[in-house]
Amino acid sequence: MKTPKPASRRKFLLAAGLGGAGAAAVVATARKAASPGTPETAAAGAAEGYRVTAHIEKYYKTTEV
Amino acid sequence: MSAQTAAAPLAFHRTLPPEEAARGHFYALLARMLNAPPDAGLLRDIASAPPLDPDGDAALAQAWNSLVAAASVMDAEAAAEEHDALFAAPGKAPVSLYAGFYMGATAVEHPRVRVRADLAALGLAPRSTEPEDHLGGILEAMRVLVAGGGGRGPAPLAEQRRFFEAYVAPAAGPFFEALGAAEPSNFYRRVAAVGAAFVALEAESFSLD
Repeated sequence: MKTPKPASRRKFLLAAGLGGAGAAAVVATARKAASPGTPETAAAGAAEGYRVTAHIEKYYKTTEV
Repeated sequence: MSAQTAAAPLAFHRTLPPEEAARGHFYALLARMLNAPPDAGLLRDIASAPPLDPDGDAALAQAWNSLVAAASVMDAEAAAEEHDALFAAPGKAPVSLYAGFYMGATAVEHPRVRVRADLAALGLAPRSTEPEDHLGGILEAMRVLVAGGGGRGPAPLAEQRRFFEAYVAPAAGPFFEALGAAEPSNFYRRVAAVGAAFVALEAESFSLD
């Protein structure tokens, strides 16, 4: 890292680039099949184009307690 | 993130700060890649991801951007073959997915025994389909400790750190190194680079305050 380590852990993570909406949003979709043996559901509707937002919302809905 | 219902077992949900959510997502992605090869949808999503700022953690940014680029030219069938070649041959796989292998485990002190107990203490159940020290399972457990899930909220940092130092720190470094060096590794070389850089970042972050 170019800058000296910030005193606060939170600032350190932010400075490292974590907390950027882009990378975080995409990898959220990885949670769909986290365990081995979980059958991959056929791509729902075989979505054309990139629709991360709809994906994430749908996934979060399935994890609601 | 998840909606509150009248019967929710937790008192309240605080929204996770974005940097903590991002940590959880990296654990999720790494676990996902170990448990199974990426499907076409996941490759597409990674390929569409924006780059990480190289002014942040340079190693992680470089590794992530390289993974993004690789995802855009990778197809799911090739990824599945690679995953198989790396991990699937029982007893002959070039890369072990089990933490015990990298921790010099003896039968008595095997991390499988300790992981099971630690997971239970954290309110998590190990997966029934795999030995408890499967690194996909360990990284998935970290995801839950960081971001919550499976009916529990995020764990305090001290608990995250204890689990990280017990199972992730000793095993993940050697594992990702072995993964990157293995002959069949191509796409997974980039996965290994992201894993190594992220775990190093985590170790440094836990050492602060």
